This record gives sequence, C-alpha cells and structure tokens, in this order.
Amino acid sequence: MSIFSLARTGSVLRRARGGASASALERTGRHRGPRDGEWRWALLFLAPTLIGLAVLSAGPIIATLGLSLTSWDMLEPPTFVGIDNYTNLLGDARFLTALRNTFFYTAVSVPLGLILALGLAMAVNQRIRGISWIRTMYFLPLVTSSTAIAIVWLWMYSPTGLFNNLGSVFGMSPQRWIANPTLALPSIIVMSTWQGLPANVIIFLAGLQGIPSEYYDAVSVDGAGRFARFRYVTLPLLTPSIFFTGILALIGAFQVFDQIYVMANPGKPGGATITLVYFIYETGFRNFHMGLASAASWILFLIVAVFTIIYFRTQNRWVHYQ
Amino acid sequence: MTVAPMPHSSPEASHYRTSARRRTSIVLRRLALYTGLTAGGLAMMIPFLWMVQTSLKTRSEVFASAPFSFPTGLHWENYTNMWNALPGVTFGTFFQNSLFIATMATIGQLITCSMAAYAFAVLKFRGKSILFALILATLIIPFQVVLVPNFILYRYLPWPYSDSGNWIGTNLPLWVWAFFGGAFGTFLIRQFFLTIPSDLADAARVDGANPWQIFVRIYVPLATPVLATLAIFQFMWSWNDLLDPLIYLRDLPSYTTTVGLAFFQGQYIGNWPAMMAGALVSLLPMIILFLLAQRYFVRGITISGLKG
Repeated sequence: MSIFSLARTGSVLRRARGGASASALERTGRHRGPRDGEWRWALLFLAPTLIGLAVLSAGPIIATLGLSLTSWDMLEPPTFVGIDNYTNLLGDARFLTALRNTFFYTAVSVPLGLILALGLAMAVNQRIRGISWIRTMYFLPLVTSSTAIAIVWLWMYSPTGLFNNLGSVFGMSPQRWIANPTLALPSIIVMSTWQGLPANVIIFLAGLQGIPSEYYDAVSVDGAGRFARFRYVTLPLLTPSIFFTGILALIGAFQVFDQIYVMANPGKPGGATITLVYFIYETGFRNFHMGLASAASWILFLIVAVFTIIYFRTQNRWVHYQ
Repeated sequence: MTVAPMPHSSPEASHYRTSARRRTSIVLRRLALYTGLTAGGLAMMIPFLWMVQTSLKTRSEVFASAPFSFPTGLHWENYTNMWNALPGVTFGTFFQNSLFIATMATIGQLITCSMAAYAFAVLKFRGKSILFALILATLIIPFQVVLVPNFILYRYLPWPYSDSGNWIGTNLPLWVWAFFGGAFGTFLIRQFFLTIPSDLADAARVDGANPWQIFVRIYVPLATPVLATLAIFQFMWSWNDLLDPLIYLRDLPSYTTTVGLAFFQGQYIGNWPAMMAGALVSLLPMIILFLLAQRYFVRGITISGLKG
C-alpha cells in the first residue's frame, strides 16, 4: 500500500464532495430500474479490492493498534503490556527528538514550499514561445528519487562541496552543513523544498490558468495596480489550489523518510535529524521492537489525522470556491 | 521580433497603443523575461549540473578545483567503476530488479483499479457509496501505520524458494499488493469513467453484451489516457520507493536501484565522482520518461495531485 502515500487525500475528499458525487447521483437517477441488482457483477469486479482492503489496509490498522499494546521481538510470542509502549515512548529521548524534528520539518517546509511555489508558478505562467521548454527545467526534480537526490545534496553540502565553495566567494567560513546538528535539519529542508517545488508549481499553475481574465480586466478598470490585482483577484481565487497543495505538503512532510535515511546514515549516531518514520523503521525493522514500532505508528497516525481534520475545519474561513 | 499575444495575467498590456517607443520597451521586457526565466531554470537545475560535472572528474580534481570548473578530461571510467563497484553484482542487476517490480506493480494496479473503478462508476449495487467512502478513507492512513502488520503477514506467507521459507527476502511484498486494488488508482479511473456517456454501454447491452464485455470493449479502450497517467505514476513510485525495498530485500542481488544506490553510498563514502555517476544513472530512466511524457505527468498532478 505504500504507494498510496497519504498525500493524495486532499483532492479525493474535495472531489468526492464536489463535482464527482453530483454526477454520480445524476447517473443513479437515470439508470434506476432494470439494472438494480448487479451485485454479482459488482462482487466480481471488486473482489481484488475487497481482499486488499481487508488484508492489506483496513485490517492491518486494527492489527497495529493491537500490536501496539504488546511487547514483541518476533522470536518469542507477543506479550500483552497495556499502554506501556506509549508511556515508554513519551520518556524516550530518541522518540521525542524524532517527534520534535518531524514537527519542525513540517512547520518550516510546508509554508516555505507553498510560498516559493506560488511565486514560481506566477513567474512561469507566461504565454510566450518556448515556455514549455523553460518549464521543463523547473519541473525536472519532480521525477527524481529522494535517495539519489539526497546523495547529490550530501555532496553539495559536504565540507568541500558547492555550498562552501560558493560561500567562500562571499567570504563565508566553511560550514559542516549536515554534520552540524543545528544546520542539519534546515539543510535537509532546503533540499526537500527544492525537490517538492515542481508538483506544487504545477498545481498552482493550473489554478492560475483557471482564473478568468475578466476578473483582472474588471479590477484593472478600477485602477488596481499589480499588488492589488494579486491581493484581490489572484490570491482569493487561488485559495482552493493553496488548500489542496497545503494538505499534500502537510501529509507528505509528516512522512519524510528517504532523505533522512540517506543523510542521517553516514556516521551520525546522535540522530540529530531522525524523524518519526525513521524512528518507526529503526525500531521495528532494525531492532525488532514490533510493539514499540506499532505504538509509534499509531501516534503518527493520530497526529496526521488530527492535523488533517483541523486543516479541513479551517477550510470555510479562507478557501473561496468560484 | 514580433509581439506574441500577451499573457492574460498581465492585462494592463492588452490595451496599449502601438508606438515605436512602446514597442521597444515591450521587446526589452520580453528579453528580460526570457533571461530571468532561463536563469531561474538553470538555478533550479544546479544540483543536476553539479552531479554531471562531478561524475566526470577525478577524485583529486573534485577536491582541488573551483566549483564549476570543467573537468580536465571526461573521466567516463567513473561510470564503469561505479557500475561494477559492488562484489558479485552490477548496477544492471539493480535495474532489472527495479524494472521487474515497477512493471508488475503497474500491471496489477491497472487491472484491479480499473475493475473497481468500473464497479463504482457504472454498476448498480446496494452499499456502493458506503464502500466507496470506505476505500477513499484508506487514503488518509499513512502507509507506515500498516508497515508492521504487513511485514508480519508476509512472514506467514510461505515461499519455498527463499532462504526464510516465506516472502521476506523476496520481491513479492513489493508488487503482489498491487493486484489487490488501490484507493488512489480506483478514484482516478472512476472519475474518468463517469465522463463516458452511458449511451455506448446501453447500446452494447441491447446487443446482449454483459458488464464484463462492456468493460473490456468500451470502457478500457476509451480510458487509455487516464490509464497511461496511472501507469506512469505507479511506475515512478515503485522505481523511486526506498522504505519497502529496504525492509523486505535482504541480499545484494535482489536490491532495487534505490537500495543499491544507498548501499553503494555507504560503501564508498568520499568517492563523490563514483557516487554522482551512480545517482545520475539511477535517475536517468525517470528523467527520460519525463521528457517523453511530460504531458501525462502534468495532467496527472493537475487532475488529482499525485506526487512523487
């Protein structure tokens, strides 16, 4: 199931609420009658999905909750320990570091990514010859694996790498970007923001192109300047795209793993950059504390669920649908 | 230079009066626009450029020279060295493994998601909307939450050809799941199926076609664009995935490109030219795919916000 990164939730929920469900209702109305009992066929078409739902996604969530109440090293049978795993986690310095890092990563990378992407989308929203070639340059990070990209940036951040080289031109003293606990996470955030930009830019670009030009004409007649047009037309009409990108970025940020694995690996036992998912991986699949890993998984689940719900609750206050 | 149509986002330019001076200023602005956008694009590509130029340098050159100096010669041997660096395997093995896993996962998702999508978009049955809501709800579950139970499940599934006697250490956990549907693909294809006029299906039904025939002969062929979009993204996700292969694959010859690359990086710390060659080679298939099918990538993200 890993592939369905939670990142896709926003659109799904929004669309399920909006146009899609409406047209589904229309169709239901139109076809009522002779085809009412197609459940045998439905069962045939849905069989793989239903098995997957029970065995690979819905079932395992319950199983994780159960496992989180046990102590299990995969050698001896699991023993029931109640909520010990949860209380232990809250006293575990490494877990708390992971939690803090995850929150910091999310709090910085989400707004940063959105603001930069918005600016970039407006910059490349031009109808000029060759624009698609220019956009390709900006979109290229889209298809890259975080593993390979993290290795490239590790080299850029290395003591003799690009950043120190450029820094020395401006008289900056060389930094140990990744090895320095204070700079490590911000450095990783910069990299992830770069890699995450294209997807956000593409969504914003679609949003910008969906704004009818009459709106701009209307405010221009009123003598609105560049800033006013951005503030009173672009920004409000783009809020659905911002909302959507925001949820994707939020959920993606809580799940960050690949770059942490690559960049935290080389000789960093202190774990200044570990995140929640890295903690789950390490606890469950390196140290085989399956109960503890399950408890950490459920905490991650609850955090994501709570933030998603809060985020959706704020929707009415600032998102304007046309 | 002729003046191209102005972008609708700058309407103040749409009602100008053509005068020579005005035209000159437009040309200059256009020039500045191209320069700025290209400079920005190149800045965005710095990591790629940096990777390429490092991959062609010698190790001593990398540490001695200025950041964007040209290499003294093109040291392609970094690529062959990297390709054969690990004992007993080449990067070709990793490529084959990734290719196999990504292809199987893509096939599985295309088949089972389009089937489920057909049921939700076309068929009538009781409990349809509740079931669909349930499937959508699984999208808000971070997959890490089910990592442990899935690992346990695969540990119980027997497999005579693996050292463990079960699925752990094989690539089965990395693609078999794809043959059991998926909320995202189902949703994506369903949206498309809903736009297909029902007259076609009605006509076929009058001719005696059953739902399976209607699905295979009418709906699937019409859905080619959306199936291509799902295929491209599923392939990319499988190709770029690190966490799952890291958990399930145990020995070097079974590694995917990502795990192989991460392992290689751990073994060759400090050998940046070889590492950049490895990173570049692992990125190349997806970059080529992107250049060939950029349209599908952009459309996929626009429709549904799928992401890497």
